[in-house]
Amino acid sequence: MTIVQTLISGILLGGIYSLISMGLNLILGVVRIVNFAHGELLMIAMYISFLFYTTMGLDPYVSAILVIICLFLLGVLTQRFMIQPILDTPASTKIFATLGLSIALQNLALMTLSANHLSVKTSYQTSVINIGELAVSIPRLVAFGAAVGVAVVLYLFLQKTLTGKAIRAVAMQKQAAFLMGINVKRIYLLAFGIGSGLVGLAGALLMPIYSVYPTIGASFILIAFVVVVLGGMGSMFGAFFGGLIIGLVEALSGVIFDPGLKEAIYFVIFIMVLLVRPSGIFSLGKGAEEVGLK
Amino acid sequence: MKKIFSLVIVGFLLLLTACGGSDQASGDDKGSDTLKIGAIFPLSGGLALLGEESYRGVELAIEQRNKNGGIADGKKVELVKGDAPDADSAQAEANRLINQENIKTIVGSYSSGVAQAASEVTERNGVLFWEYGAVADSITDRGYKYVLRTNPPASYLSKTHIDFIKNYVADKLGKDLGDIKVAIAHEDSSYGTTIADEAEKLAEKEGINVVTIQPYSAASNDLSSVVLNLKKAEPDVLIAVSYLNDGILLHRQSQELGLKVPVVVGSGGGHDMADFIEGVGDIGDGFFNVAFPQYHINQEFTPGMKDFVKLYKEKYGEDPRSGHSLVHYMGTNVLLDVIDEVGEMDPDKLRDAAINYKAEPGQTVTGWGVEFDPETGQNKLSEPYVHQWTDGKLLAVWPEKVSVQEPQLNK
Repeated sequence: MTIVQTLISGILLGGIYSLISMGLNLILGVVRIVNFAHGELLMIAMYISFLFYTTMGLDPYVSAILVIICLFLLGVLTQRFMIQPILDTPASTKIFATLGLSIALQNLALMTLSANHLSVKTSYQTSVINIGELAVSIPRLVAFGAAVGVAVVLYLFLQKTLTGKAIRAVAMQKQAAFLMGINVKRIYLLAFGIGSGLVGLAGALLMPIYSVYPTIGASFILIAFVVVVLGGMGSMFGAFFGGLIIGLVEALSGVIFDPGLKEAIYFVIFIMVLLVRPSGIFSLGKGAEEVGLK
Repeated sequence: MKKIFSLVIVGFLLLLTACGGSDQASGDDKGSDTLKIGAIFPLSGGLALLGEESYRGVELAIEQRNKNGGIADGKKVELVKGDAPDADSAQAEANRLINQENIKTIVGSYSSGVAQAASEVTERNGVLFWEYGAVADSITDRGYKYVLRTNPPASYLSKTHIDFIKNYVADKLGKDLGDIKVAIAHEDSSYGTTIADEAEKLAEKEGINVVTIQPYSAASNDLSSVVLNLKKAEPDVLIAVSYLNDGILLHRQSQELGLKVPVVVGSGGGHDMADFIEGVGDIGDGFFNVAFPQYHINQEFTPGMKDFVKLYKEKYGEDPRSGHSLVHYMGTNVLLDVIDEVGEMDPDKLRDAAINYKAEPGQTVTGWGVEFDPETGQNKLSEPYVHQWTDGKLLAVWPEKVSVQEPQLNK
């Protein structure tokens, strides 16, 4: 029974990781930016959600759509005024830029909002669905459902719509896409906006589960990068399943071995996977991260 | 691929090292009527919340003394602060305070990592280091000459845990000591590990049965495995050693996964905080907490506490957020008394005077006595108390001398 419960907890945790990682992956796949400030976008999303809760009494699930819009705009602004001017610089410059943004946002939050841990109170925050002895946390189930939904919608959007195809074209070959008449800059804005909007959704759905504080991003960003690289850069389903794998490994190793060892265990698995499949589990094969999204 | 991956790694290394910094306008020498004290606290980064709370205690003690005419024949005390979010910056800040500011006494630091690192530097330079809040036993166990600590170390917290079970809980549960099942869940940095190890040792000595020990990383996003392992062990008493975020997560997930333990005892850290009870909600009502003194306590045993709270509110416009400011205020007052007596900042003279400084239990604002062990510099009369969360307030409940209310075991 414990093992089944652990599997459930692991998959639900994995859903949270997937949700955060998919936005990161989109930005990485299209704009080719390693966005270190992604964790801080999550932090901002959670603060916005908290703000809606305290000032207007909006439940985090209700205000989620507003948080997504705010984060979309924030993403677009970041892309336009911070990333776009440095797109043609070496990759290390871009890293410094997003890393700098990450540290600046963290400390800005610390200065203006103090280091307090803020939580919302909802009637459902520790509610569970009981199936026999098994317990399924409702807010975690909601986050998991959202992750599945996002993966499917994003897939359909990228495959079936014209805009989605344009995004993929830019991700594959931006010069060629440009010659075909695609507005590359606008696609970048859109991709960064969607990626940020997704983390906005994640922030809203995490608010009933966790409390928010200025450095909360740090506890998710490292795992998000592991998920993205493990699943295969640029692959949406890779990010989704990568999240589930890490969540499961984390939960299982805590029960089978020792909770203190779980980071060590999933990093060992991560390294072993990279040795066998250097471009990630769901990539197209060697060098696939350079061909963009799928 | 390789390129992106190596950049990711480079980025993380930068992320790890880029958290330093300091924010101190240069302290000009204001002549011989000013005595300078350095203060090293984590004021930014992940430990900033309690680091700042702790720093406020030092600041208040010094401001109060200055306002009341200063020390050592009217000299004013100037506090020079250094920000040390981690061990590396603690060393850098200690070096800066000693070499550039020419400071002979440094106080700190709330964080054990910061205290360890900073005291390495001060010891090498023959500068006095006063610790008021960090709990790692190793800070004083190293036998350094210039290190003094007013607050109780981790092993004292473990002792209070076991004493409480032995002298109170066992009786109230109506069980023999040997029949009580104790589980320990702790975060796996030196704070949690020290308390857990020591508690296990003491429990064994008393014949108390420790059924499971669950270490976990404080950065965890999920503690379901810890909770499930605890559930399997069916403990009567749970000793939890947590920071804030993991503490909230542990109790929320216990609720979700149906773990019910009759007696839950925290160990300071996250369990002290108003944000903690805010985060866990009703579940937390009735939790015990072995911790530094808080504010709902028998005030006859802690003279001066009312004044402290009043002063705090005047300066910061809010109630103290935890007892950390109080213990740092208490420690700073001991230091100021000692400086007052010596009249100058010579580290050797200050240390000798400190060793001879005595206060009985019930005479200081925390209720602690003061008697430094001449070998280690540890204050032997400091002790943690057992508190209980009751209607959103942390009330002192045990031992009797500090309690404002009898412990409520069946909440």
